[in-house]
Amino acid sequence: MSLSPWLAGRPHSRPGQVHDTMLQHERTALAWERTAFAAIVAGLLFIRFATALHPLLTLIGFAQVFFGGGLLIWAGYHYDELHGPLRAGQSPVHPRATRAVGWVTTGFIGGATLAATAAVILGL
Amino acid sequence: MYLRVVDSKLMARSTEDLQSYLPPQFRARVFVGDPRDHGDDPDYRFTLANERTFLAWIRTSLALAAGGLGAVTILNDFPGEEVLGLGLLTLSFLTAATSYRRWAIIEKAMRLSQPLPPSKLPLLMGIGVGLVSVVAAILFAFGGAGG
Repeated sequence: MSLSPWLAGRPHSRPGQVHDTMLQHERTALAWERTAFAAIVAGLLFIRFATALHPLLTLIGFAQVFFGGGLLIWAGYHYDELHGPLRAGQSPVHPRATRAVGWVTTGFIGGATLAATAAVILGL
Repeated sequence: MYLRVVDSKLMARSTEDLQSYLPPQFRARVFVGDPRDHGDDPDYRFTLANERTFLAWIRTSLALAAGGLGAVTILNDFPGEEVLGLGLLTLSFLTAATSYRRWAIIEKAMRLSQPLPPSKLPLLMGIGVGLVSVVAAILFAFGGAGG
């Protein structure tokens, strides 16, 4: 299946050259992707930890893994999307994305800390 | 564009609802509004640098969580592994919980052309991870692994 019809229908198609010679945009996309990998790894470790406690607890880990996967896909898409606005001089600020990552990570780690504390106290 | 407007309105309403239950001093300290409400767009490179710094903090937090979970899960024959694991997880939580606020404060300062406020978190992180390492070394040396 060809991806070209899908690519052609997007608001900002990929230009023939990169706008910024310091590749800030690309470095930022890679930072998002590294963060997504880290989220997936942390989720997998939590699943490994939670399996010994209660099967339902592993759902937190699975949610985190899926969140990381979604973030990875979004980061690649967003990188392509930003070529146009950056060239047009628009700000790439994205509070929704940072807020979502901040809150989800805080929630996941809060849950992991509570689960680990309970496991230690209950001697599991 | 339309979706973005609807979504930011919904988000604002739910955040306001949540904020109305909290005392005002706490509200002002914990919730920083949307940085786009202030000043003008800075150089896009600054915005991207701020974003990368935020992401580096999130990854640090996830790495600490992975270390903490690893300590609790894998180091079963290591004395005091629970203390180490919970210490790392607590540091991880602090880092994650403050990272968005820090990003928003810096973005706001950049938009208002104000000096960027310094953070105590790198110092706290150094002391925290240093403490965990020293405690791990002492436990390993005097507790004896494999017992």
